[in-house]
Amino acid sequence: MAETKLLLEHAHDPSYRTLDGYLAKGGYAGLKRALGMDRQAVIDQVKASGLRGRGGAGFPTWIKWNGIEKDKHAPHHFMLCNADEGEPGTFKDKQLMEETPFLVIEGMTIGGYATQADTGYVYIRGEFVDAARAMRKAIDEAYAAGYLGKNILGSGYDFDLHIHMGAGSYECGEESALMSSLMGERGMPRLKFPHAPLPTVAGLWDLPTVINNVETYAVAPFILERGGEWYSTLGASTKNSRGTKVFSVSGHVNKPGNYEIDFGTTLLDLFALAGGVKGTLKACVPGGSSVPMIDADACSKAVIGYEEMAEVGSMVGSGGCIVLNDQVCIVKFIWRTALFYANESCGKCTPCREGTRWLLQILERIVKGNGQPGDKELLLEICSQIDGRSFCGLGDAAAWPVVGAIKAFPQEFDYYIANGRSMVESDLVLVG
Amino acid sequence: MAAAPTTDTVTISINDVEIEVPKGELIVDAVKRLGLEIPIFCYHSRMKPVGMCRMCLVEVGFKQPDGSVRKMPKPQAGCTLPASEGMAVYTDTELVHKDRRGVLEFLLINHPLDCPICDRGGECPLQNNTLFYGPSTSRFIELKRHLPKAFPLSRYVTLDLERCIQCGRCVRFTEEISGDAQLAFRFRGANMQPTSFQLTEFESKFSGNVIEICPVGALTSTKYRFRARPWDLETKPAICTVCSNGCSVWFDYRVGKFVRLNGRVNEAVNEEWTCDRGKFGHDFYNSPKRLLAPALRKEDALRTANWAEAYAAILEAFEPGGNAVAALTGPMVSNESYYLLQKLFRGVFRSNNLDHRWTRHLSAASDRLESKMGMPTVATSIEAFEHKSAVLAIGTSLADEEPILFLRLRKAWFKNGTKVVVACDRDTDADSFAHLVLRYRPGTEMALAGGLLAAAVESGRATVPDPVREDLKRYSPSAAASATGVPEDRIREAADILGPNAAIVTTHRLLDVADAQGTLEYLAGLAMCLRAEFNLYALGANDQGALELGIHPELLPSGVALADAEAAAEVGRTMGIEIPREPGLGTHELLRACADGRIKALWLVGCDPFALHADRDLVQRALEGVEFLVVQDIVETEATSYASVILPMLGPAEQDGTYTNMERRVQRLRQVIPDAGDAKPAWRIFAEAMLRAQPQTPFFSAEEIMEEIARVAPAFEVARYDRLGHEGTRL
Repeated sequence: MAETKLLLEHAHDPSYRTLDGYLAKGGYAGLKRALGMDRQAVIDQVKASGLRGRGGAGFPTWIKWNGIEKDKHAPHHFMLCNADEGEPGTFKDKQLMEETPFLVIEGMTIGGYATQADTGYVYIRGEFVDAARAMRKAIDEAYAAGYLGKNILGSGYDFDLHIHMGAGSYECGEESALMSSLMGERGMPRLKFPHAPLPTVAGLWDLPTVINNVETYAVAPFILERGGEWYSTLGASTKNSRGTKVFSVSGHVNKPGNYEIDFGTTLLDLFALAGGVKGTLKACVPGGSSVPMIDADACSKAVIGYEEMAEVGSMVGSGGCIVLNDQVCIVKFIWRTALFYANESCGKCTPCREGTRWLLQILERIVKGNGQPGDKELLLEICSQIDGRSFCGLGDAAAWPVVGAIKAFPQEFDYYIANGRSMVESDLVLVG
Repeated sequence: MAAAPTTDTVTISINDVEIEVPKGELIVDAVKRLGLEIPIFCYHSRMKPVGMCRMCLVEVGFKQPDGSVRKMPKPQAGCTLPASEGMAVYTDTELVHKDRRGVLEFLLINHPLDCPICDRGGECPLQNNTLFYGPSTSRFIELKRHLPKAFPLSRYVTLDLERCIQCGRCVRFTEEISGDAQLAFRFRGANMQPTSFQLTEFESKFSGNVIEICPVGALTSTKYRFRARPWDLETKPAICTVCSNGCSVWFDYRVGKFVRLNGRVNEAVNEEWTCDRGKFGHDFYNSPKRLLAPALRKEDALRTANWAEAYAAILEAFEPGGNAVAALTGPMVSNESYYLLQKLFRGVFRSNNLDHRWTRHLSAASDRLESKMGMPTVATSIEAFEHKSAVLAIGTSLADEEPILFLRLRKAWFKNGTKVVVACDRDTDADSFAHLVLRYRPGTEMALAGGLLAAAVESGRATVPDPVREDLKRYSPSAAASATGVPEDRIREAADILGPNAAIVTTHRLLDVADAQGTLEYLAGLAMCLRAEFNLYALGANDQGALELGIHPELLPSGVALADAEAAAEVGRTMGIEIPREPGLGTHELLRACADGRIKALWLVGCDPFALHADRDLVQRALEGVEFLVVQDIVETEATSYASVILPMLGPAEQDGTYTNMERRVQRLRQVIPDAGDAKPAWRIFAEAMLRAQPQTPFFSAEEIMEEIARVAPAFEVARYDRLGHEGTRL
């Protein structure tokens, strides 16, 4: 199956990064249509499109947009864009912001209009200097031409958009931690429903807030321009996944990069788009480092879709597809992943704070050749004590890859523990 | 933040037992209604729940229309989950027990096994929860986290970072309760640690509380570190007597020696908090300068004597009586002792030369707001501040002078949005949450008070008699603004904020300023016109009691003025003495009279004039000038070197007695620590002196004295020992 180009159609065209170029390619048609519509009608279009959040959790976007309590006389409503793309293996938001910034801005403006937001913040990962620069330039142009600010396109709708740079914490990509960080607090997650009101009731500064991923916003202009019905025809072969998804394919493929495909495409087709696997396919982490890995057999059966990926024991996640060939030692790979999560745990809750460090210590010991019988089982036990017990999803995200790897390749762990060295003879060096 | 509990109730089930609870009540609290307990570390009922430690995980489901329960896929933190209709909570399932073991195993992998030398050992929530819910062994064979073992956060608090379980209680205390935000977390993940900003000194007036709320031995008391094991300590309830707030505390002592003080729950006063001045301010009990035996000056040197010799010398010296003798008191003396002291002086020595006041301004009896304006000077209880819509704190730094009231006021602002106006001539801690800060030039209190009243009159919210209106012309808001340096619009705004549900707060510190009388009258007038409450709070532990019980040259117990001959005679009859008619001298006059030899004998009760009086020179001349000086105190002071007789007095916690705090709450303090040496309770010293002077039935206990006080000053009827409740009683 060929690549569907929607978001990335003009990505490589530098003129698309200017307002004139964007307008020449039909940009802002979606916002113009939206501004002529009733707010609820805009949300209904998003509902009809079947769009689900592209950040990893796959939550239906329209429910968030619909959730803003319209009768509430809050002084502000906020529209947040989660551009703290930190999931290892994922780099789609970076490209979207650098090469299609107006899509993101237009999408946020549409969302802002639909949810009565007066202020938007783009929380950009601190390392994404180029992306922030591109966004800055685009926002300035949009302001100058009246696509942002007061009385947008004469509609009477006001919307201000600000950029906030993160300070380098993976945790700040978690939506409530992102809000803490944006408010100047320590980047730690906050209580969630049913422990606290939803962000749409009390989010940023306890005011109604909608937060979506960069890619989710970038889709909105197309839905508004061409209609939710049309969008929902894309990926119609899947159970409940509609539209296109940008996958960041990395690892052992010949042409690593971002590829946009319809839902319903097979995983192997995605690999083929990326120039095919280098060497012999061994495993794949399909949705960013936090999702469980699947072996080659499962890869061959996998169809890309939120429910479909669950059937093979993994997830679409954020679309960070890491391809591993037979040169990769799974134990070392998981040790390196565990190192990341132990570093990035914010420290708020016990299971994640202590569990991630313990996992790392055991994996490090195994990798150094000092594994002991029972280590594999202990790893699984620790994971079960983290998974679902932590304050936010980071704990789960740290546990799943370990569990996934042990389930998919138990023999590699057994071998490494028993022999003190890897089963895989390879020149690959993993840097910790 | 959890939804605030309302009066609506919901039906939930806990372990399949149905129970009605207030809507929004946290599950961790709701289960207590059934006598169950959910183990916790980070949760603290006086702070916002955070759900950090995960110790309180429970299984939660919701009742479906068909009656079945659909469980949520993940266990939920009971400390953050508000009760809602149809919720089904399970605290005793296999899964819950497994999760508790899991969390405890995680907490213990990096917690040092140094319980045998840890201050917390024996009273440690981590130990307790591990015993009840934890795994018996650990599967952790890696290297534990190693960090500094004794980092000095401040002179009071020492941090053992290895023991920290990162529950955040201390950090949240400084953010939510004390408000100084001195602690925060630094670093991430397993390296996260509580710290002060850039490791500078943890400067807080309430730092001792974090030692108590720390669920492990991470935050330890520098003074108490390694001094005792909890099981060697005896613990008794007591009242802190360092300031006038009268906090409920626990006294811990070991082998008869005071070693530690902790906060005790008293919702009416201190909730459960203490201030550092109180928590670490009881060293005098163990002071090497304790006075342990009476001493008598013979041949120019103080020599140990026995009580009989001391009494004989005193009675001889005080025999002239009347204007030739006097007594001055300090604040740390019980109601019973104050009462007996004035009875001794008025009944035996026929003198009204008594005073407990050390401020520059001493209101004459006729100038007191009670008699002049019919205005009580203590109206608002500490607890009532929580529900005030606005509070004006003027001329006082509350965190220093009324620390527990400060915490309550901060809570009122934090939880209920009380608007606080802080008027002071310097920065105060309350500025941080003040709605409005009025920074006036030192010495311009009266202009500001007048300006506030004038602003209220101008806005039509207050009406005053014409003479007052005329008088106020000199303090029109603009005139007050130029006099005080406070912008005029702020004076007007401050006056606008005050109203019927407001309280004006000041302390005896205001009596040290110029024009104190005029300032007080304007403030009281402002409160009166706006139907707000006015409070002039005492500063010393029992200053309020001294005033109520007649340690005053012109006032008798129950506040009867000496000038009111008929009433005074009646008070005398009830006391069984004849009250001398001539008014006594106030502190300053009295010291002058000592200096020029008019007063021959002076009795100092628990006070060091050098420390309390502003004029050192006058004090020195007075103590040198007076022929006979009795110094009755707990510890040696500068004044003891001038003494003719030294009488050793027991400290408040070494005797039975009651104390009246600044909100007029009488609280009982039973003897906690054994007697020190030959020292005696102050009341017993006075009773014995009375007995030696005139044969009579002596008082054998403080309780008997209170019975008599209740007859003489009927307000104290509620303070009779059989009536005093756990939280004390307001007069």
